[in-house]
Amino acid sequence: MDLGSVIQIWLAALFTVWIYSIAFRDNVFFKFAEHTFVGAAAGHNIVYAVDNIRRYGWTPFTQGATLYLVVFLLGLILYTRYHSKYFWLSRFPLAIMVGIGIGLSMRATVTAEFIAQIISTASLQLVGVDAWTAFSNLIFIIIVVSVVYFFVFTFPGLHGGGRAVIPKIARYGMMAAFGYAFANTVLSRFQMIFGRLDFLMSSWLPLPGAMMVLPIVLILLIYAMIPAEKRPWPKSS
Amino acid sequence: MREKRGFWSRLEDIPREVLYGLLLIAFIIPMIKPIGFPVPVSPETQKWYDTIDKLPAGSVIMIDFGYSGGGEPELGPMAVAVYHHIFKRGGLKAIAMSTSIEGPLLWDKAMAEVNPSQYGAQYGVDYIHIGYIAGTETAMAAVGKDLRATTSTDYKGNPLDQYPIMEGIKDASSFDLLIVFTTGGDQSEGWVRQWVTPYKTPYLCSVLAMMKPTMLPYQKAGQIIALTSGAQAGEMEYLVKVPARGIKSADVMTLTHLLIVVYVIVGNIAYYGKKYSGG
Repeated sequence: MDLGSVIQIWLAALFTVWIYSIAFRDNVFFKFAEHTFVGAAAGHNIVYAVDNIRRYGWTPFTQGATLYLVVFLLGLILYTRYHSKYFWLSRFPLAIMVGIGIGLSMRATVTAEFIAQIISTASLQLVGVDAWTAFSNLIFIIIVVSVVYFFVFTFPGLHGGGRAVIPKIARYGMMAAFGYAFANTVLSRFQMIFGRLDFLMSSWLPLPGAMMVLPIVLILLIYAMIPAEKRPWPKSS
Repeated sequence: MREKRGFWSRLEDIPREVLYGLLLIAFIIPMIKPIGFPVPVSPETQKWYDTIDKLPAGSVIMIDFGYSGGGEPELGPMAVAVYHHIFKRGGLKAIAMSTSIEGPLLWDKAMAEVNPSQYGAQYGVDYIHIGYIAGTETAMAAVGKDLRATTSTDYKGNPLDQYPIMEGIKDASSFDLLIVFTTGGDQSEGWVRQWVTPYKTPYLCSVLAMMKPTMLPYQKAGQIIALTSGAQAGEMEYLVKVPARGIKSADVMTLTHLLIVVYVIVGNIAYYGKKYSGG
């Protein structure tokens, strides 16, 4: 393995340990890792932003696509928001960006997110399918209708009296959905932890010296977690 | 003077250091000594596999390598397994782009894991990456309308015209399948709006497990052929017969989730114990 890769693995491993140490207690190593990550991410984004301007703006412009001059001007005008007198100019490119964004997403939103979903729900079968599918479809339809009912706030009377059972069903349905989403979130987070632990165990620890450095890193971390007033040195974190 | 707390109160308030410590142990044990829990293949993973397997020879696939570094541990193994399948299957062209800024870097990492040359696949002939294209949904719409007008180079900055794989590739109609690996809801839903709805491109979507509930309605409506989360990478590796990180994580996920179930049960016991014993 070349020296560059070794350094890369060592840095990645140390930052992984430092970042996850926040799960136990705040400490100076975590803060260092956090600030370094934010700085590195900002730097990476700036490099890509400049590269994007070069690839998608400057190169076509220098090849004769003069219309890109308008785009460059609009981009520069965005920065007038930092000027006390001409800040209002920045609203024009912003309005164009928002307009294009909404226009693009709206062109298919109605079909993709309303009509298709309504057709899908309306075409659920209650007869001619096996009992379990029919039961599942019935639950689906009841939850969809009751949740839509739940969000009708215009007529408060709809949520009172004997009709209060409908929003209650909706609440149970939504809680079940949130529970499913939360369980999936736990799964996602655990996958991330697994990925990092796997990296530490498969890529870092087999490197020469890593097994000796690991306890030192952990001891330093534990020491850094001791509140400043309770440790002999340093007295501030 | 410190107030004396009852048993239920202390049980309800276990220090997080203890909970995380136990969790860490639950992670490490199966990594050192695998238990070998079974990895059943779900219908959606099977459907995903079959969709690629049944593509006619010469089919062109658009792959959005749109996940971020934070999502790599979950989506990376899935992407690697799918690339293994594409190359193993043979006769397919895989054109990747990224709607995530870290995409090209992570694509490089994935390709190093896949090692396409072991299947005889060549860059520019069987697969390519045309780079990160900024704008998310605007990028999808632009590539769908006219790929060459959106970008004329690959992610290394080389002209697309020099690569045989790009011959005849113009717009969304040039693609037979769309595969998306993403950590962003704007991306996974944006492709439905910008490619599936206007061009009817068949769509396979792999997202973080936490995004799956949001995407399920699209699958139910038939807009997505198969929806998987990165956590199902083990199933894909099993089908493709290339065991790697996904299968390795199966034991860990099972054991750690069982521990979470125990935590929930203990939390509930403590809550009701405190309630009925008066603290």
